[in-house]
Amino acid sequence: MSLQSALERLATYRANNTRASQDIFRNGLLVLQKSGFKKLGDDAWISLEQLALASIDVGRLDIADQCLQLIADNFPNSPRVDCLIGIRMEATEPPETALKYYADILEADSANVAIWKRRISVLRRTGKVEKALNELVQFVDTFYTDVEGWLELADIYASCNQYDHSFQALSHVLLLTPQNPFYVLQAAETAYTSEDFPLAIKMFLTVVDMTDADDSEQLLQESTPLGITVRAWFGVKLCARRIAQNANLKSSSNTSAPKNLGLLDELAAERLRVAYSSSGQKGEIAKGRQEVFAWVATPLA
Amino acid sequence: MIEKLFLTLATLALLHAAYSTYEHLSLLKALGKPEGSLPLDIVYESILALILGLLGASLNAPPLKDITWASEMKKRTIDGMDSRLGFAHYKSRGKFLFASPHDGKI
Repeated sequence: MSLQSALERLATYRANNTRASQDIFRNGLLVLQKSGFKKLGDDAWISLEQLALASIDVGRLDIADQCLQLIADNFPNSPRVDCLIGIRMEATEPPETALKYYADILEADSANVAIWKRRISVLRRTGKVEKALNELVQFVDTFYTDVEGWLELADIYASCNQYDHSFQALSHVLLLTPQNPFYVLQAAETAYTSEDFPLAIKMFLTVVDMTDADDSEQLLQESTPLGITVRAWFGVKLCARRIAQNANLKSSSNTSAPKNLGLLDELAAERLRVAYSSSGQKGEIAKGRQEVFAWVATPLA
Repeated sequence: MIEKLFLTLATLALLHAAYSTYEHLSLLKALGKPEGSLPLDIVYESILALILGLLGASLNAPPLKDITWASEMKKRTIDGMDSRLGFAHYKSRGKFLFASPHDGKI
């Protein structure tokens, strides 16, 4: 594994916001040992930050302290460094110490986004969910465009089984990032869990539209659904089944049920069969293919 | 491979044409007729260098990327989209799971 490939992997993880701490730690340690960070120039500091956070996650606090020292030496009074110090404190000290540290910083500057987020995270982690919820609601009121805040709100509500509130939070996320099919999928599944099947089936079909709409001349019959499209087709089939079972169901968002439910069901079944029939890597058959075929073949209602 | 060859040839040809022009002009100055015209083969060499350079630069360009959102989203994962790194918990079981087995203390 060369220095160049390690740096590229770190950059990809940064761009995609993934939290693959073990892999980041492995690659980052290689770069650190070969003193590759100096070559990056300005990018060196965000890479060091990434390595520091991954080391804290993996439990190697010695490397984390090393990186933090390098960063703190270079940026003396930075609020971002304060946040990193706070995270390091969270890993070893009791939560009250970390909360007091954050409270001090927020007193000086009450609009510090990163510190506020850390405070809410510590409150949630230590079980004070209601307090975390109140603070988070205040946070998203103040910073409306922060997608992470709305997603965290949706997650907290979903963990407390309040799926309607979770859906409302997700609808704000959809307003802020309308091009993202992943959040539409999350909203569709939340709607399904709160038993609003007509809305759920509409959103699942929106996900299919967003991810599978091909501009090329390739016919729908010839393209294989991949990735979250398969998950969306599963959702369509589940919703169609529930709508068919329950003739007079009321949707809490007053969405009307789709007209050609039987046709939708058939289409979803066919798409799932295609998805599980294509041979994957090395020509192997997809796992669970028989179960999927059997389930998909059961009639509606 | 061939693109880099084209680019190298084009650069060398251009440098050679430039040096030839300099030599020709110093020759004209020495002979006392500074308004003489440039010999045609130097002109042809420069035009050849231009064509070769264009070909080499176009072929040497990095592969084209898609511009649609859908194609970008195909490369992402749910874990990446839902990571919420600002709110991440850093006191996790990672310390115990990934500690080296020879550490001795758990």
